Amino acid sequence: MSLAELSLHAFERPASLANVCATLSRRAGKGEETVLLAGGTDWVVAQRVAPLSLGGELPLVLDVSDVPELRGIRVAGERAAIGAAATYFELRHHAVLSRRVPMLTAMARDVGALQIQARGTLGGNLATASPAADGSAALMALDADIVLASVNGERRVPMGRWFTGYRRTARAADEVIVRIEFTLPKAGGHQLWRKVGTRAAQSVSKVALAAVGEYERGRCVRVGLGMGSVAPVTVSLPSVRALALSPGPLAVGDDVLDAAVRRDISPIDDVRSTAAYRAHVASALVRGFFRTLRPVSSAG
Amino acid sequence: MALVGRSVPRPDGPAKVTGRARFVDDVTRPGTLVGATLRSTVARGRLRGIVKDPSFDWTGLTVVTAENVPANVVALIEEDQPVLASDDVRHAGEPLALVAGEDALRVQRALQHLRADVEPLPPVLTVADALQHTAQIYGSDNVFRTVRIAKGDAAAAIAACPVQLSGTYATPYQEHVYLEPQGVLAFWDEGGGAHVLSSCQCPYYIHKGVKRTFGLTDERVDVTQAVTGGGFGGKEEYPTILALHALLLARASGRPVKMVYDRKEDIEATTKRHPSTVTVTSGCDRDGTLRAVSIRIVLDGGAYVTLSPVVLSRGALHAAGAYRWEHVSIEAQAVATNTPPNGAFRGFGAPQTIWAIERHMDRIARTLRLDPLALREKNLLRVGDTTPTGQFLKESVGVARCVEEAKKASRWDAKRASLAAPASSGMFRLPPPGVFPARKARGIGASVYMHGAGFTGSGELAHRARIAVDLFADPETGKARFRVRGGSTDIGQGTETVFRQIAAEALWVSMDRVDFATPSTASVPDSGPTVASRTVMVVGGVVEAAARALFARIEGDRQAKGGSFEGAARRLLAAHGIVTVEREYEPPPGLAWDDATYRGDAYPVYGWGCAIAEVEVDLDTFETQVLGLWSAHDVGKAIHPTNCKGQIEGGLLQAIGWALQENLVVRGGRVVNARLTDYVIPTILDAPRFTTLLVEDPYSRGPGGGAKGLGEIPMDGGAPAVAAAVEHATGIVCDRLPLLPEELYALSKETRR
Amino acid sequence: MNVLFFLNGRAATVDAPPAARLLDVLRGPLGLTGTKEGCGEGECGSCTVLLDGAPVNACLVLFGQVEGRSVTTVEGLGDPEHLSPLQEAFVKEGGSQCGACTPGFLLSAEALLSTIPQPGETDIREALAGNLCRCTGYQRIVEAVRAAAKERTSREPG
Repeated sequence: MSLAELSLHAFERPASLANVCATLSRRAGKGEETVLLAGGTDWVVAQRVAPLSLGGELPLVLDVSDVPELRGIRVAGERAAIGAAATYFELRHHAVLSRRVPMLTAMARDVGALQIQARGTLGGNLATASPAADGSAALMALDADIVLASVNGERRVPMGRWFTGYRRTARAADEVIVRIEFTLPKAGGHQLWRKVGTRAAQSVSKVALAAVGEYERGRCVRVGLGMGSVAPVTVSLPSVRALALSPGPLAVGDDVLDAAVRRDISPIDDVRSTAAYRAHVASALVRGFFRTLRPVSSAG
Repeated sequence: MALVGRSVPRPDGPAKVTGRARFVDDVTRPGTLVGATLRSTVARGRLRGIVKDPSFDWTGLTVVTAENVPANVVALIEEDQPVLASDDVRHAGEPLALVAGEDALRVQRALQHLRADVEPLPPVLTVADALQHTAQIYGSDNVFRTVRIAKGDAAAAIAACPVQLSGTYATPYQEHVYLEPQGVLAFWDEGGGAHVLSSCQCPYYIHKGVKRTFGLTDERVDVTQAVTGGGFGGKEEYPTILALHALLLARASGRPVKMVYDRKEDIEATTKRHPSTVTVTSGCDRDGTLRAVSIRIVLDGGAYVTLSPVVLSRGALHAAGAYRWEHVSIEAQAVATNTPPNGAFRGFGAPQTIWAIERHMDRIARTLRLDPLALREKNLLRVGDTTPTGQFLKESVGVARCVEEAKKASRWDAKRASLAAPASSGMFRLPPPGVFPARKARGIGASVYMHGAGFTGSGELAHRARIAVDLFADPETGKARFRVRGGSTDIGQGTETVFRQIAAEALWVSMDRVDFATPSTASVPDSGPTVASRTVMVVGGVVEAAARALFARIEGDRQAKGGSFEGAARRLLAAHGIVTVEREYEPPPGLAWDDATYRGDAYPVYGWGCAIAEVEVDLDTFETQVLGLWSAHDVGKAIHPTNCKGQIEGGLLQAIGWALQENLVVRGGRVVNARLTDYVIPTILDAPRFTTLLVEDPYSRGPGGGAKGLGEIPMDGGAPAVAAAVEHATGIVCDRLPLLPEELYALSKETRR
Repeated sequence: MNVLFFLNGRAATVDAPPAARLLDVLRGPLGLTGTKEGCGEGECGSCTVLLDGAPVNACLVLFGQVEGRSVTTVEGLGDPEHLSPLQEAFVKEGGSQCGACTPGFLLSAEALLSTIPQPGETDIREALAGNLCRCTGYQRIVEAVRAAAKERTSREPG
């Protein structure tokens, strides 16, 4: 499937979610491959470096970027729903999210540059499941739910169970990601988005940390973390989360914290960075976040 | 109204900003086939044959192998490189066979069914292995060339000095990343003439290569430059190979053939900046007065000679820096390895050796607890001094003013004192391990440097740049028009603008009455390659001389017969149809160079510069942001100040990328990160704000009132200034590029120990 | 497949494979070669065009995805005799050297000025962060956008 073969793919633009599900169901039943295309910032790039097919049937490209059910961002009460095909550009300019989840909008601003933000989507980020995906790290920190649809209806998968291996997810071949839902972090807490990448823009993360600290009556009651590029999948740093609640950010020593980070990650050497550097930065970012987790006088 | 010295709008600008400019991939001819290359996947081996899968349908496809090449050599300095490998395979990515077909998919399918039968041999992948002779891959010692420069007795003088210091400094590959990848369109006419349209710097290099490989005479080969999307040296020698490939396919298929590399192939297959290791040993007084220096330079040349001997030469000639030394000893070697051949890249060896000497100057300053710029100022070359080759500097040495102006603009003294503690003896200044959010340190660092303008030694004499200026009748208005013809190319740096400025000024006409002929070997004289910071200074001087001579001819007629200049021009046109004046380069009198001993005038004159960088380093992540870059360059005379600044800022940013970000990963002789996602060059957010000052200390023989070469010099100074600033901010000693965060992190742990 | 869309302000119907890259359809059947390919993977921004006014990389958009939408290429900004303020500023200020990245920069800058008519330096740099230039060091490009912003405001009726 090299670039030279791209134009040979069959291409459809389904008008509704029902159409998407029907097509997926039909094709999956016959074992035919379907590519769900939104911004193309991952799949089209991959075609460039992929070897030529051996001449068999090419997958059908289903353009889901304009399917109404996958579009838009809605906030109702304390619950947010981001359409799988909403772009990073929409995300970073969303008024309520900018105020309540600045970590998320900061993440969107750090993705590629404007051209990528105008096309890239959270749905795509989750589906391609790159361990370096910035969106996945942010959604992990929010403990978001992924809502999938098929001809059999909707199904929800929590972020913690989404990734099943390197570039593998819980999505079945007949399912499409419709939206991502999460509860807005309580006002008045701490949030952090910190991407350490290859350069200031158009950058792939070497390590990225998304973090949310929530408080009730001045006590830290929830810490959500997501870290990218330090393991085959985006990690939720469970040992570190546990330390944040007990003994709590003030009582935990740096050595203990570092040990927890080490337990939760398994960085490697690759063309972009080294395992040693990634481990160092992972610790540095987590320590930095814990230092901000001071008790606050009143919870918003 | 003087044209020279004014930043006139670029005449090639409107076509470029409207998308009308035609780059080679924008041009097509009826029946053009797509060409592609089968390359070696092994670094060294013996090619037993190219096997076509008999089950594949080869209809309509053209395949070319070494046996189809008339003279299988790429004509450059040596003829060791084949157009297509025949027996020996010497590097991964080496071209083995070519395929052409109707479309890209068909051609890629064909490549899938074409197999190179190569018996692998143990490769020599590092300079150390090459010098230890793990296998013999070039000559008797794996050395392409050795250059030695001696002045006085360096060893004895160093031994007698109270302060003796030694350091080893290294630099990596660099990929050019011109935004337009390499490409060519080639065809043969019915009379057996070869035609090439190329994205290139040097049409006459291609001309020479085509003549040699196909055994053609001058007039049977026409090489035309397409609008070229950047070069930086990367389109100096490689386009010859690409043109030969396309011509081979065009000859075999009887059709025009276009070959345009995608970015991956461009990075994998074309030349890079030579990686270097330089050891500097110096002797000086306790007050910082420099006395003697001994320098050993080793460049990794890659698998073929290409331009390595001259890159090495320029590197050696710049290795002692912009300073006075009574005793100098330089030994430089370019070494063969089984890696893709390295080649020309802006600066041509000088950025590597200037990196070394500038880092060494900072080492001396640190040791003696001197201000790094004060140490440099104390030892700067001045008019009347002699260089390591014994060249007497008689004029245009504006380096002291460069230092002074850059210092002032950057507020060096205040920042050096306040940003970080005074440079101690390399003591690590980071707080003990322990991480705080956004701990950042700032630092400021400087470099001072020079760059010889024009070819080295007797090169200009050997080339004898030729330029023609025509007087012709405008086909529409009948009015007199002028045209500059030469092989010098505009690759973005502004050759067209500056040549038209110089010619118009000399002819006393407005610039819109002077054309710049598209460089095409069928219609322009050979003004030499567009390299070596020589286009404005050397070729521009010939343009000026030719235009002045043409002016004199018309003015002579006017004085003899009366009337206006325009009237005289029209009289000449009526009598002759077209009037052409051709001039060639006249070397400055008294210039002498001995290539055997490396003594004499290495360059007619030097450009000079000082760069000062201010950086901020994140002490947790070791990310470095360059906040400001102040520079002053002595350009002799700025013919087009905006273009000068554009060259300087572009060159400095290329150097900053080399210093901080760009990291070509080569494993087993193969580039493994051949894409712009992983070989990262600076974006606009990585770029500092530049303050760019032009110093004019005119060169008596430079055109437009004293212009000197400028294209390469900014590449020399950026990296050492940035490294010095990082060192100032963090206390981490930075002797090896690139200063990736990973590298700084590793060094910080060493330093702490 | 026939795809109907709006190209540089006019309705256009083009018969081309819907899974072909927009970049290849522009440069091929439409002959609009001002849009350049620098990397083919959304890194360099040389192929930037505006899709419904937003800058996108034409190498990552499939042709079928532009159905019913509006595409602006460099050819839609102005011609050599009638340069737009941005085009003119790029020529005057040295914002274009080799020209390979220039069309992409112009479209990113056009999108910026249509949303922020008087951008600060940070706005300019952020808006152009998806476009690589290897010639200028970017400073002249920043100057050009600044100059064009000034010019556009002064051209507007008072």
